[in-house]
Amino acid sequence: MRNIKGNFISALLLLFAIAICFLSTLKFLSMQKKEAIFPSRGLTSRKMLSSYFPGLKKTWGDTDVYLYEGQEKGGNLLILGGAHANEPAGFITAVLLIENIQVSTGKIIIVPRANNSGFTHSQPQEGNPQRYSLESPWGRRHFRHGSRLTNPVHQWPDPSIYINPAGQKLSGADSRNLNRCYPGRKTGSLTEKIASGIMELIKKEKIDLALDLHEAAPEYPVINAIVFHENSADLAALTLMELQIEGFDFRLEASPTNLRGLSHREWGDHAQIMAILLESANASHGRLKGKTSPALIVEGKDKNYMKAAKLGLLFVPYGEDGIPLKLRVARHLAAVKSILSNLEELYPEKRIEIKNMPSSSELKKVGIGPFLNPPN
Amino acid sequence: MVAIFVLLAMLLKLPIGISLAFSALAGSLLGGEGIGLRHLVEGSFGYFDTILIIVTAMIFMNVLQASGILDTITSILLRTFYKKKFALLLSVMALIMFPGMITGSSTAAVLTTGALVAPVLMKMGLPKVKTGALIAMGGILGMIAPPVNILVMIMGGGVDMPYVGLTLPLLIIVIPLAIVISLWLGYRDIKIIEYEKMKAILPPSYSKKYGFRLYLPLIVVLVLMLGQSVLPRIMPDIGIPAIFLLGSLIGLGCGRPFNFFKTTQKAMQQSIPISCILVGVGMFIQIMTLTGARGWIVISFLSLPSLLLYLGIATSMPLFGAVSAFGSASILGVPFILALIDKNAIITSSALSAVAGLGDLMPPTALAGIFAAQVVGEANYFKVLRHCLMPALFQLVMGVAVLHFAPFIDKLI
Amino acid sequence: MQIVYHLIVFYLTCHFIWYLFREKKFWNKVSVALVLIMFLLRLFLIK
Repeated sequence: MRNIKGNFISALLLLFAIAICFLSTLKFLSMQKKEAIFPSRGLTSRKMLSSYFPGLKKTWGDTDVYLYEGQEKGGNLLILGGAHANEPAGFITAVLLIENIQVSTGKIIIVPRANNSGFTHSQPQEGNPQRYSLESPWGRRHFRHGSRLTNPVHQWPDPSIYINPAGQKLSGADSRNLNRCYPGRKTGSLTEKIASGIMELIKKEKIDLALDLHEAAPEYPVINAIVFHENSADLAALTLMELQIEGFDFRLEASPTNLRGLSHREWGDHAQIMAILLESANASHGRLKGKTSPALIVEGKDKNYMKAAKLGLLFVPYGEDGIPLKLRVARHLAAVKSILSNLEELYPEKRIEIKNMPSSSELKKVGIGPFLNPPN
Repeated sequence: MVAIFVLLAMLLKLPIGISLAFSALAGSLLGGEGIGLRHLVEGSFGYFDTILIIVTAMIFMNVLQASGILDTITSILLRTFYKKKFALLLSVMALIMFPGMITGSSTAAVLTTGALVAPVLMKMGLPKVKTGALIAMGGILGMIAPPVNILVMIMGGGVDMPYVGLTLPLLIIVIPLAIVISLWLGYRDIKIIEYEKMKAILPPSYSKKYGFRLYLPLIVVLVLMLGQSVLPRIMPDIGIPAIFLLGSLIGLGCGRPFNFFKTTQKAMQQSIPISCILVGVGMFIQIMTLTGARGWIVISFLSLPSLLLYLGIATSMPLFGAVSAFGSASILGVPFILALIDKNAIITSSALSAVAGLGDLMPPTALAGIFAAQVVGEANYFKVLRHCLMPALFQLVMGVAVLHFAPFIDKLI
Repeated sequence: MQIVYHLIVFYLTCHFIWYLFREKKFWNKVSVALVLIMFLLRLFLIK
C-alpha cells in the first residue's frame, strides 16, 4: 500500500517536472523567432553568411548579410553588429543603418546578428529580460536581448580549457565567444565556423575596413573606446580628434598583440585589412547593476552605477541621466561617420559615400524610434 | 530571501537545495517579478555542467570502490609509506592536488585521488574528519595551482588579461601552503607503524589476480585529463564528464565484477543532495541579480574605504563562494582587480584566486567540504569544515599578503 | 562529441526517473524532480 502511495507521489512529481519543462520551453523557444528588420530602398542584395562559407548552411550560425553597393567604385566596408547578442547598441546601430542608408560610392556590407545563435538564449544567472522594445511612429518594435555566448544547445559541450585558433589559452566557455574565435576553424566548433564565415566574407568581398560594434560594462577599462589594429592607427587617431571636437568623449586603445582571437587583432593580421572595434558603456552589462529590466537596457539608468561613479570606480562619466541606448547608438553612428570621412581623407580611392545616414545629434534628441522603418 | 531560506532550512529542516529554490521563488514574488518560472529554470542552468561532472565523478568513484581498485591502491600506498611520515604527507598532498591542477576543479581532485588516499590516511591514524579536511584543502590548492587555474582564467576574461605567465606567481602561493597545511593537519596524528601492524590493517589487494588491467580505468582518466592540458593539439578534449564515464565503463572489465546499473543508482543517491543545492543556488543567484540584490552586495564591498578593501576582499570573496568559487571570481574578482588596477594584474589575480578558491569551503554549497566528507564517510560535513578553518586562514593570509606585496613580488620575478 | 553528451544526459535522465520512483523520502523525491527538470530540457535541446 505504502509502495503504491509512494509511486503515486513519484508520478505526480514527474508530471510536475514535465509541466515546468513545458511551460519554460514555451519561453525559451520564443527566443528562436527572429525580429524583423525592414531594409531601406538602398539595399542592393541580401545574402546569408553560408553563401560565403557553406559549412554554415542549415546551422544556427548562419545569418543575414545586407549589401549596399554604390554606382561608383570606392572602398569596401564591413559593419558587424551582434557579435555579442547582449550588447544592443551594436545590433541597433546595424539595424538603423540597414533601415536608412543608401550608398552612392563604394560598398557597405552589414551583418546585424554576427552570432545568430547568441540571440536565441539568455545567459544563466544574469537575470536579463528576453526582450526590450522601442517606440516608433509605427508602433512598438521588440528586439531580443540574447547572450554574449553561442547557445549551448547549438554548441555543446564546452572544452575544459579552450585553445583558440590563434593559440590563446582561455576558459572553456570562451569557446562560445565569437570575439575570441577568430580567425576561425572551418572544421571546428559552430562559433569557430561563424568566425571562418566572416573571414571568408572579408576575403571574397575584398573588404578594406571592418568595424566591430560592441558594448561593455562601465567598470571595464576599455570603454568608450576605439580599439584599432596597428594598420589602422592613422585612421583611428584622426577619428578620435574629430569625435572629440564634436563633443564625444572617446579614447584610443591599440589592439594588444598578445591577446589573440579578437576581431581587431585577427582581421588585421590574417586578412590585412584595417580593423576597428568600438565600445560603448552599458550598465545592464555590468556586475554592479541594480534591478535588471528592459528599462535598464533602454534608459540605462542605475543607482548602483551612480554610486560607483562617485567612488571613482568607473571609466566613464555616469550621472543621474544614465547612459541611454539612444546615446550609445548615437556614439557608434558618430564614430562610423567620422571613420568614413577620415578614410576618404587618408585614402581617396577608398572613398565611401552614404546618403540618409541617421544623424547622431538628431538621434540624441528624438530617440531611435523615428529612424525605424514602417513594417512592409 | 535570506530570511526565508534560514526559516525553511533551519526551522522546518527542509533540504538546503529546496529551501534555496523556495526562497528564490519568494524573492521573485516579493520583487514584483511574479513566479518568474523562466528565470528560476534559467538560473539553475548556470550549474548544469558542474552537475554533470559531479554525477559522473560519483559514478567513477563508486566503480573504483566496487571493482576493488581503491582497496588495491590503498594497500600499495600503505606498504610504501607506513614508515615514512613526512614523505607520506607531502606525497599524499601532491597526489590529491594533481587532478585539480590539470582540471582546475577541486571536485575532480577530491573525488579521484582524494578518494584513493583517504583510506591510507585513516588507517595510519588520522581521524576521518581531519582526513576530510586534508583532502578538501588539497583539492582547493590543486584548483589554484598551475597549469590550469580556471578562477584566474575567469578573472582574466573580465579584464582582457591573457592566461600567460601565471605559473610562477601561482607556485609562490601554492607550494608553501601545500607544505604547511599537510603538516598542520597530519603531522601530529599520523603514526609510524610496525610491519606486522601494517599487515593487519592492509586491505585486500587484487593486483595479482587482475594484473595491470586493474589500473586501466585510473590510467585512462588521468591520461585523458593530463593530455588535454599537456598535449592539447593531439589529445582530444572530450570533457571531464565523458572522461569519468569512459573510465567507469572500462572499470567494468578490469577488476571485481559488479552491477553497473546499481553502481549508477548509488552514485545518484550520493549526488542528488549536492546537485539539488546547486539547482537552488542557481535559482537564488538569478533572482538576486534580477532584483538588484547582487549588484547591491558588490557595490557595498567596493565602497569600503581603501584601508578596509583587503578586509572586504578577505571576507566577501570566500563568503560569495557559497554561490561557487567560480561565481565569486567572476562577480567580485573582476571588480576587485579593477579596484587594484595600479598593481600587476597577473599577481593580483593569482592572489585573488587563492582567496576565491576558499569559496569551495563555504556552506551551503561547500563543494570541497561536502565531497571530502562523503569520501571519508562523515555524514556531517561541518565537522570536516571545522578542521579546514586554520588551513583556510593560512591561505587567506597568504592571498592577502601576496596582494599587499604584489609590487615587491613583481620586481622579484 | 555532442552525440556522446546527448547519450550521457539520456542515460542519467533515465536513472534520475528510476531513482525518483525508488526513493522513499518525500523531500528527496522533490530534490530529484528539481534536478530532472534541467536534464529533460537539455535532453530535448531546449535550454
